Amino acid sequence: MEGLNLLINGFMNSLTLVNLVACFIGALIGTIVGVLPGLGPTATMALMLPFTMKYGPATGLIMMTGVWYGAMYGGSTTSILVNIPGEAASVVTCLDGYQMCKKGRAGAALALVAIGSFVAGTLGIMGLQFFAPLLGNAALSFGPSEYLAFMILAFVLLSNLSGDAPLKGALMIAFGLFISSVGINPMDSYPRFTFGWDELMMGIEFLPIAMGFFGISEILNIALAKYVVPEVRKIRLRDLYPNKEEGKRSIYPAIRGSILGFFVGLLPGPCTVISTFASYSLEKRASKHPEEFGQGAVEGVVAPEAANNSAVMGSMIPLLTLGIPFAAPSAVMLAGLRMHNVEPGPMLFSTNPEIFWTFIAAMYIGNLMLLVLNLPLVGLFGRIAVIRPQILMPVISLICLVGIYSVRNSIFDIWVMIAAGVVGYFLRKWKYPIAPLIIGVVLGPTTENSVRQTLMLFKGDIFLIFARPVAVALLAVAVAFIAYKLVAPLLGRKIKLKVEEDDTL
Amino acid sequence: MFVLVLAGLGGAILIISLAYGFGTFKRPGPGLYPFFIGLSISIFSIVLLISELRSPMSPPLFGPGGIKTFLSMTVTFCLWIMVMPLLGYVIVTLLVTYAFCKIMKLEGWWKPLALSAGTALFIYLLFDIWLYIDLPKGILG
Repeated sequence: MEGLNLLINGFMNSLTLVNLVACFIGALIGTIVGVLPGLGPTATMALMLPFTMKYGPATGLIMMTGVWYGAMYGGSTTSILVNIPGEAASVVTCLDGYQMCKKGRAGAALALVAIGSFVAGTLGIMGLQFFAPLLGNAALSFGPSEYLAFMILAFVLLSNLSGDAPLKGALMIAFGLFISSVGINPMDSYPRFTFGWDELMMGIEFLPIAMGFFGISEILNIALAKYVVPEVRKIRLRDLYPNKEEGKRSIYPAIRGSILGFFVGLLPGPCTVISTFASYSLEKRASKHPEEFGQGAVEGVVAPEAANNSAVMGSMIPLLTLGIPFAAPSAVMLAGLRMHNVEPGPMLFSTNPEIFWTFIAAMYIGNLMLLVLNLPLVGLFGRIAVIRPQILMPVISLICLVGIYSVRNSIFDIWVMIAAGVVGYFLRKWKYPIAPLIIGVVLGPTTENSVRQTLMLFKGDIFLIFARPVAVALLAVAVAFIAYKLVAPLLGRKIKLKVEEDDTL
Repeated sequence: MFVLVLAGLGGAILIISLAYGFGTFKRPGPGLYPFFIGLSISIFSIVLLISELRSPMSPPLFGPGGIKTFLSMTVTFCLWIMVMPLLGYVIVTLLVTYAFCKIMKLEGWWKPLALSAGTALFIYLLFDIWLYIDLPKGILG
């Protein structure tokens, strides 16, 4: 009953003009970003952080989630219409979506995807609303050793699930942790790795790092890539009606995709991307006509798109309940909330419950907005997909430059962003995953605190961790996962989870 | 090559963090945490280096003309940073957008010019009028 009251309050808070406009702008920009190949939701969210500073933390959170969420909706449009995924979580949608388009069923596919995404989003929000406070309460009993163990587990899973080389992922996490250790250490006020530079005393800011690695490096990447003009098929409003059979065949895949996506969202790494692959393969196995997959099976379009939407909601749980982001977009969200002096974690539900419930309510509204926005405007979004990068990239570059300067009026931050962009360009070329680096940067201070507090709590005897059952269980899972990865190839059961590197990781 | 840089970085972090003071596990010094980061970077990069020696060469970083575009883009970014406090963000934004359009081979002169003017106006309206952010106006201020 208390939850219902809080939700009603959340609706009242979110139904303010500012929050509704923030939700709409976030959803619209997110959809456009999803439609446009290249710039992904993480870069866009980082880019929008300075603008959210003008308003409260709940408004900022609503706007940023709207972007992430909208990108999942928008990503499917180009997959279906042009066979080019707007972002990596829509790669799978191309397989059957474009085939449906070739058969003249593009409108139906887009409509079913929008409805499926709406269902998945709603189920995902319900899951978040139900599980987050429960897990938040459970996490209240977490001490520094449990946090440390949890972070080690997250790092192990993250390095294994991002990109195709676990060592590169681990290296990037360590590199990110190093970046976060630059500056005066708050525990003992000792300056580290500053080399006498005043600008480095306060540490390297997260925002220029995120915008450099995700924004500038992508701009450089696109500027150097060869542009091929895609051909977009026109969609009329009357084409959007799916037939009875298509509708019937979509119901269970949408529900299965939603549930699967939500739980995959709890995993560290590119959860939205993994959820689409997992959901597609589940549907193929569950289908009575697996031979239709790849030829335009509606299940192969609806289920993955439902999964990536509910995965977004699932991935909010570790962020909101533990303050630990498992994916790059949620790392940006954590940085955004910190800029507003809000620290997500178990205490969020007791200290700032209105933020959580306003966010939940706004997500219900945002989900509905996206459905209304996506169906009638699908033709327009199709046209946006063909805007040339020569027109878009110069504008985005300048918004990055002015945007990052506007946060602290710091020229140094712009240099950091450009340096991160150049390094990020090479990292992409050498196939180093960028998301673990960003998560390493954002989790660095928490990791160091946990390490120090654990050591001090145990008076230097690290083996006392074996007296903490939750920490031991978490570490055991991490060790078991590493052992499995090492032993599996020797047993001839090589796990191959290859995920296209992109910024949704 | 990058893995070599990281291996060097790991080694440097190890040495510098020891100079900061490792302390003990009971009373950690400021160098304890970075020491373990340096150790992890060193170990991971050496293992990766060994495995990369066995793998085939990676594809080239730049296609034909790519390095010229890459350098032009990077230098233009740097120019914006250096000139913006002097000329002001509106004028520099206009010039740099035009430069980006030309580097990215947007043909003609009126399209890049219109885009540059539009971008400068948009950025002025967004930051100055809507967000009330005081940015250097340079000679226009």
